[in-house]
Amino acid sequence: MKNHFLFPYWTRYLGWGLVVLHVPLSMLGRSHGMINIMDPQPRDQGIFAGEHLFFISTTLIMSAGLFLVAFAKEKIEDEQIWQIRLDSLRWAIFINYLVLIISLVFIEDVPHMLELNLWVPLIFFIIRFRWVIFRLNRSLSREG
Amino acid sequence: MGDFSPQPFTKPGGVSMKNNIRVERAIKNITQADLAEQVGVSRQTINTIESNKYVPSTVLALKIARVFNKPLEEIFMLEEGD
Repeated sequence: MKNHFLFPYWTRYLGWGLVVLHVPLSMLGRSHGMINIMDPQPRDQGIFAGEHLFFISTTLIMSAGLFLVAFAKEKIEDEQIWQIRLDSLRWAIFINYLVLIISLVFIEDVPHMLELNLWVPLIFFIIRFRWVIFRLNRSLSREG
Repeated sequence: MGDFSPQPFTKPGGVSMKNNIRVERAIKNITQADLAEQVGVSRQTINTIESNKYVPSTVLALKIARVFNKPLEEIFMLEEGD
């Protein structure tokens, strides 16, 4: 169990912090017209143009946050947690590809669709993983 | 889509595994938390093993057997049919 790499326990809180931070940042960006979700093509082109830079930084903050939350160690990391983690990853990839394939067929907006691909596996993984652990803890407290 | 929860381990042949950790714990008079600490897992894991929801790895099963000072087969056994 020792040779698998995961981030330390505290990075989970850092991750949630980044995810929360992303919300006001991107709202600010939108209200100032720096991001226009209806228009994926930035007005000023180039990698280091303001609009693109802003998009990249908020997206990076969000995905780094989710990444840290998803791959932080649990307080007690044992083989059952590993099994749940693997199982949740399996579901996350499964759902992700299901969403991807369905949207590939029915949605024409490919750039936004692929952007979705950035969140879906991580978010679904986190939800499923935490849900199973929550249920484990609940069954434990029921038995006393 | 199937169930989202981890299922009790059952092989296609209908052979599953049961254990008497609960009994052994009662004999030795230790709690789930004590046992968990001695074998280095969480209390949840011991709980799910006891209720046959989770099948431990061979290493963990051997560690548990060592705590009770008994051979593995006296603590974990196969159960035919369902």
